[in-house]
Amino acid sequence: MTAKTWRRARQAVQILAAVLFVYLLLGTRQGLPTFLPHDLFFRLDPLVGVAAMLAGRRWIAALALGLATLALAVLAGRAWCGWLCPLGAALDWTRPRLSREGDPRGNWRSAKHGLLLVILFAALLGNLTLLVLDPLTILFRTMAAAVLPAVNALLTAAESALYAIGPLQRPLEWVDRVLRGAGLVGGEPAFQQGVVLALVFAGVLALNAVRPRFWCRYLCPLGALLGLVSKVSFLRHHADADACVACGKCARACPTGTVDPARGYAADPSECTLCLDCAAVCPTNAVAFRWHLVPAGWREYDPSRRQALLSLGVAVAGVGLLRAAPAARRDHPRLIRPPGARENGLLDKCIRCGECMKVCPTSGLQPSLDVAGLEGLWTPVLVPRLGYCDYSCHSCGQACPTGAIPPLSLDDKRRAVIGVAYIDENRCIPWADGADCIVCEEMCPVPDKAIQLDVQTVARPDGTVAEVRRPRVIRERCIGCGICEYKCPLNGEAAIRVYAP
Amino acid sequence: MNEIDRREFIRRMILLALGATAASSGLARCGSPSVPTAAPTIPPLATATPMSTLPAATAAGPTPTGQPPAPATGDAYLAVARGDSPTALVQAAIRAIGGIERFVKPGADVIIKPNICVAYHGPEYAATTNPEVVGALVALCLGAGARRVRVMDNPFGGSPEAAYARSGVADAVKAAGGQMEIMSEMKYATAPIPQGKDLKQIRIYRDALDADVFINVPIAKDHGLARLTLGMKNLLGVIWDRPAMHRNMGQRIAELTSLVRPTLTVVDAVRILMANGPTGGNLADVKQTNTIIASADIVAADAYATSLFGLTPTDVSYIPAAAKMGLGTMDLAGVRVEEIGV
Ligand code: SF4
Ligand code: SF4
Repeated sequence: MTAKTWRRARQAVQILAAVLFVYLLLGTRQGLPTFLPHDLFFRLDPLVGVAAMLAGRRWIAALALGLATLALAVLAGRAWCGWLCPLGAALDWTRPRLSREGDPRGNWRSAKHGLLLVILFAALLGNLTLLVLDPLTILFRTMAAAVLPAVNALLTAAESALYAIGPLQRPLEWVDRVLRGAGLVGGEPAFQQGVVLALVFAGVLALNAVRPRFWCRYLCPLGALLGLVSKVSFLRHHADADACVACGKCARACPTGTVDPARGYAADPSECTLCLDCAAVCPTNAVAFRWHLVPAGWREYDPSRRQALLSLGVAVAGVGLLRAAPAARRDHPRLIRPPGARENGLLDKCIRCGECMKVCPTSGLQPSLDVAGLEGLWTPVLVPRLGYCDYSCHSCGQACPTGAIPPLSLDDKRRAVIGVAYIDENRCIPWADGADCIVCEEMCPVPDKAIQLDVQTVARPDGTVAEVRRPRVIRERCIGCGICEYKCPLNGEAAIRVYAP
Repeated sequence: MNEIDRREFIRRMILLALGATAASSGLARCGSPSVPTAAPTIPPLATATPMSTLPAATAAGPTPTGQPPAPATGDAYLAVARGDSPTALVQAAIRAIGGIERFVKPGADVIIKPNICVAYHGPEYAATTNPEVVGALVALCLGAGARRVRVMDNPFGGSPEAAYARSGVADAVKAAGGQMEIMSEMKYATAPIPQGKDLKQIRIYRDALDADVFINVPIAKDHGLARLTLGMKNLLGVIWDRPAMHRNMGQRIAELTSLVRPTLTVVDAVRILMANGPTGGNLADVKQTNTIIASADIVAADAYATSLFGLTPTDVSYIPAAAKMGLGTMDLAGVRVEEIGV
């Protein structure tokens, strides 16, 4: 096979991997698919694996597949980044043709090592907050909480507008059935901070314009981890000095800018993604990928003892500050965790992937902004006004790759208390206005109803006397599912609200 | 060159999209010049009062108030069947009120609306309509030559897929040859309620008004505010904003009924839920009553069903409200009720 064919093969694999990623993402819904683990990519991600095991101080069998990715790095360097990583593929596909060559001045590449070390040291101290910057969590979270809801909203709007045109109704019904039936979209997902998540992702893509694969070169902590392992990789870029005519084409073609004319057009194996763009453009076929046994040398941007110490310091200081934050002292009243997660100590197990938010059929599980404190940024919290915990669902526990949300059986989930409902008598219609309502009682799913209706004769604000049914919560029966708060017909804040237990 | 082409292409696509949007909103407006809302509006269709299409109704003469059709001589106005086999009960009750052919003409487009309100429990908990009853109705309609029979509801707890599956209705319908339909947001439109006093218009599932035949199959059960959820309460499943119906509930449900006018109401009382409705979940609240009530008059069917709970029609606010609007009769002494043992 020629270099060009290899490159085409690489592009094909990239497309397949990205398609698989999206397919599994769409498949992450109630009633999970069984033939391939829906969280395959997270299982393959050694960064989340190592960090979660360090923080939880336990072996997580589901994440052991990350070892395969590390083995791949020993074999063929950062081939993961060039061939398999779906974020890397997205970066390749959105790369502007005109982007600048060479690195900016200074050791920017070491930034990713700093980030990696801080993540690992923080994990040792039981903190996983910075996994929000793992490439796969970025991609999954963005797709689940920003892109798909947007697609869904646009589809619904387009369908509703076009449905008014008679002849289009039949085809639209067909399209609707196919798209929603296939799980492409479903429900009416709506996520707080969807725009923020989309902007973060757009930022990662936009940095491509500064340097190709800016994210992978300078920032990606997973790339840094794989790069360090790649110091001992076997399969490597090799420029044949005899055949090379020093035209510089390969250096210009290299998306990670690691082919160095000053070093005889050699590449650093811990930066090279084996994308083969260099080999494909070489006019004399001087670039080859060959087996090497000698470890690659340490570069100036690789971690130094100083950087390691600095990272340790940052991690210690950061974790210390987070532990001293008010959120660590007392829970926010609205910190409603997914079923079983509170007792389970979610914070040091959650890798911030967003699988639970994707799977939650009501999109009640939302990325936390403030109720879990900075430490719990983008961890899942139930926001009952946006979606309730469905009495017929236990999907989040099944979807969670690390067991941060325990895989409760449906019966156990139905008994898991995640919050307690309180009635705001100043707003509740029967209490404040003396008129009937009872929506909360109607909705309450527990078999003996955690909301009781007391028939009372009351004086209405206008002076008349009437008999109304007033809802009252029986605390011991309430599981905090939040459907009462979700369905409360008042505008704005509900008159019945669920608080942390 | 390439760049310009692409730009031009995008420009044309945008123009096309704008044109389509303008055209669609224009078309929507042509359909109903009378209602000034932004949402697409359904013109009041003849099928919205389905009784006018029935031969029996013609025989009795369509009444301006929309009184339900009087049955042909020999047929019961309301049938109550009691026995062990839900399928046999449905067949016997329908036969007694004139047979399915009276309601379903060959080629008819039929919608069956059971109560599948939540995805929580199996049918033995009596929170959702008995699947055998729904299956039997699907088979009857297809046997009468219906073009298609669709079954749907919009659960308030859990996803429709999960609710259809857990209720057992999906399997029964499939086995009988019908289709389950997920009620998609695009199919809701705002329709005026000509007889409405409290509700002048409502956002409703178009097909519920457009179908040739709409068969309402509630399960009889307890409800905190309405006392009971029966046929008329079951119609809340075809409107978009259900919580809004909780104010002045009796009157609003009656007004909704005046718009939907089901062809036929079959009350599933094989098992009834005596308490903690409408969601249920406790077998101790379930009572096995092995009964099916069928009538073209939804008010009469609901009125009869109250007796299973030891109540009278006036205990359930929407029944007298609907009777007062002339939507049917709650005075069962004045009509022919046939009780059948199966
Ligand atoms: S929070 Fe409740 S509804 Fe959402 S995924 Fe978890 S179990 Fe299901
Ligand atoms: S949160 Fe509300 S609906 Fe859920 S169990 Fe408690 S009272 Fe019932």
